[in-house]
Amino acid sequence: MVKTLPQEYYKQLEEIQVADFVLIELTLYLDTHPTDMQAIQQYNQYAHYSKQLKEKFEAAFGPLEQGSLNRTPEFWAWKSGPWPWQV
Amino acid sequence: MKSNPETFTKVKSYVPFHGPCDPCPPIGRKYYSTPPNLYLGFQPPNLPQFSPAEALKSGTLWAFFYDFYENPYKKRAGKGNG
Repeated sequence: MVKTLPQEYYKQLEEIQVADFVLIELTLYLDTHPTDMQAIQQYNQYAHYSKQLKEKFEAAFGPLEQGSLNRTPEFWAWKSGPWPWQV
Repeated sequence: MKSNPETFTKVKSYVPFHGPCDPCPPIGRKYYSTPPNLYLGFQPPNLPQFSPAEALKSGTLWAFFYDFYENPYKKRAGKGNG
């Protein structure tokens, strides 16, 4: 039986991508505008939000990036599928 | 350089010269893109932003820089081989 991923997996993953994209854009902007306090405030807000999303995702679906917590002490989850290109 | 209202165009075109001895058929009109960042210079703070989900889809956080590419040649396919 082909292992299929729950819809929630894709929804949460897209939510993480959205938050991380805003972080990337703001990082590039803040590199040239270091004193824009409003942008810094928005950056911190999204950084915090993105951390929460990743925490929620990893608790449910396993490690997201290298260096993520391995939540199953008896099994090395990083190596197990599905891999990003299989998702 | 500073043009507040959106008065610039994102695509411009020109017609290259075609001489009588040119072996190839005339190209007709050629297009090149002039993205919004050319007309902004140093980015002012607090530009209007897309919503995060929309920003991911459109590829930029600030609405000003959104520049959808639409193949001008395809649209012009009917009129000559421009």
